[in-house]
Amino acid sequence: MKWQIIIAGILIFLVIATAFTNNGSKPTPLVFKVPTGWPQPVYDFKQNPLTLQGFELGRKLFYDGRLSKDGNFPCASCHQQFAAFATYDHNLSHGYDNSFTTRNAPALQNLAWQKAFMWDGGINHLDAQPLAPITAPNEMAETVENIIKKLSADAEYRAMFKAAFGSPQITTQRIMQALSQFEVMLVSSNSKYDKVMRGEAQFNLPESLGYAIFKQKCASCHAEPFFTDFSYRNNSMPMDAVLKDEGRMKITGNPSDSLKFKVPSLRNVAVTEPYGHDGRFFFLMNVFDHYRKNMVVGPTTDSLLKNKLPLSNYEIGQLTAFLYTLTDTAFLKNPRFAPPNFNNPPPVEHVH
Amino acid sequence: MKQLYMLMLGMLVVIGSFAQKIHLKFIPLAGNTSLVLNDSIYQTKAGEPITVRKFLFYVSHIHVKDVHGKTIPVKNNYYLFSASDTATWNIPLPIQPQMLSAVSFTIGVDSIKNVSGIQTGALDPMLGMFWTWNTGYIFAKLEGNSTASPLPQQTFSYHVGGYKHNENASRTIHIPINSSHKVSTITIGANVLSWFNGVNDLSIKAHPLCHSPGKLAMQIADNYSNMFQLLKVQ
Repeated sequence: MKWQIIIAGILIFLVIATAFTNNGSKPTPLVFKVPTGWPQPVYDFKQNPLTLQGFELGRKLFYDGRLSKDGNFPCASCHQQFAAFATYDHNLSHGYDNSFTTRNAPALQNLAWQKAFMWDGGINHLDAQPLAPITAPNEMAETVENIIKKLSADAEYRAMFKAAFGSPQITTQRIMQALSQFEVMLVSSNSKYDKVMRGEAQFNLPESLGYAIFKQKCASCHAEPFFTDFSYRNNSMPMDAVLKDEGRMKITGNPSDSLKFKVPSLRNVAVTEPYGHDGRFFFLMNVFDHYRKNMVVGPTTDSLLKNKLPLSNYEIGQLTAFLYTLTDTAFLKNPRFAPPNFNNPPPVEHVH
Repeated sequence: MKQLYMLMLGMLVVIGSFAQKIHLKFIPLAGNTSLVLNDSIYQTKAGEPITVRKFLFYVSHIHVKDVHGKTIPVKNNYYLFSASDTATWNIPLPIQPQMLSAVSFTIGVDSIKNVSGIQTGALDPMLGMFWTWNTGYIFAKLEGNSTASPLPQQTFSYHVGGYKHNENASRTIHIPINSSHKVSTITIGANVLSWFNGVNDLSIKAHPLCHSPGKLAMQIADNYSNMFQLLKVQ
């Protein structure tokens, strides 16, 4: 009896004692807001719960050149906020040692609803995506091993990893999960179009005429609310003789997937030019002319484009007005998505 | 006080007996001899001479059967064997040494782990067994040189993977064991030369490279599923 009391006493003491040990504070949970009327996201938040500390760590990593071999190519060098996180004004993006990417950098928006990533859908999880540009010799040209070495030498990163994940250990998984926590928060749902849908604003006449034309001629592939149905389609863009990009067939091996690419989202289309998987369309007008005039219909052309896409100049004018309503200025200028310390620039030297 | 010491001693004996394991040991071979990386030249079935620089494979879903044919549960872990790192040759299984009738394991990584994002430990993409552009694990890797290769520097490189049902390169290996005593170590040879012969003989001249899932990867997996042989049971 005496032994049981002593052992029970020791156990109770230990339990109470652990309550007073400082294990570090738990990270602050972040809520992922699903815009009204949108479907549930597909990203598995259970495996990677959103926290403020995880988001801030992911943001710092996103803007950090050290994830690249020579320090010049953070994720943000190709994914620029003012271009909805696409590469502004570049058909292909710059990579290490004067190289170029082989495809146009897509906008990063509403990623939590995507099941597959890249123009050919080759990446099946958001956490896995950064590995591709990080290790590609014509992009960031770095190894995860080196990144971990660089970050581990930085006391600020060690502290941020501890705050986000509970210990200062920096691993492949944690780096990717932190980046995902930042990226899933890049939600664009406050364009003029969105406000009109919520009854908070009204289209002007050209915009509303353009919306009607859009629903009739474009929405089968560029479906609302994401302005893509996430499918892979062949819209008869002839294969570039240098890039020789087979599209989805490279991933599935299926000949019927030749020259199929993911339908891109048209949100923020006004700022994500050039267009197309290789950025060959520098202006929206080039896209319209492809669909109404230049495209050559063949046996593998998507069934919805067998008769091309007739568009009059009038319709193009209205469509353009509508597409401009997909620009979400709040998203493009949100300081939460800007580089850390963006609002705290270093002091300017006063010269008198 | 004496009872306390007896209790502690008893606990140590019990814990100590749980700490005994069965070891699954893989030895890289080239034919009948131990594989020597880089320097030694071996001949494939097609008569193509090879030197081997890298030889790795994932071992997962290990099962053992007792003498009654009953499967003994083993905690599901993933192990990466690498011929250049002898520390990876030995897999300790948390099972009591006992008489066994068979051991089985999968060369590959199941589809769940291929679609669930970034993993840790032996499945860390940093280990170089993960395709970044077409998400999925490389189940087995064989790289080296051959004068028969048409590639620059006469290299050959086989990265075999594929988890999707129409290009599944996962292979489950069954090895019967005839033990008349308690087993504590199972030593299995993994013969690199088996990669080159099977229903579809592999010619370096014709196919020096395999870097994506598909038909060639599945054929190579079929070949190397015969690379294992029981060497020793202790």
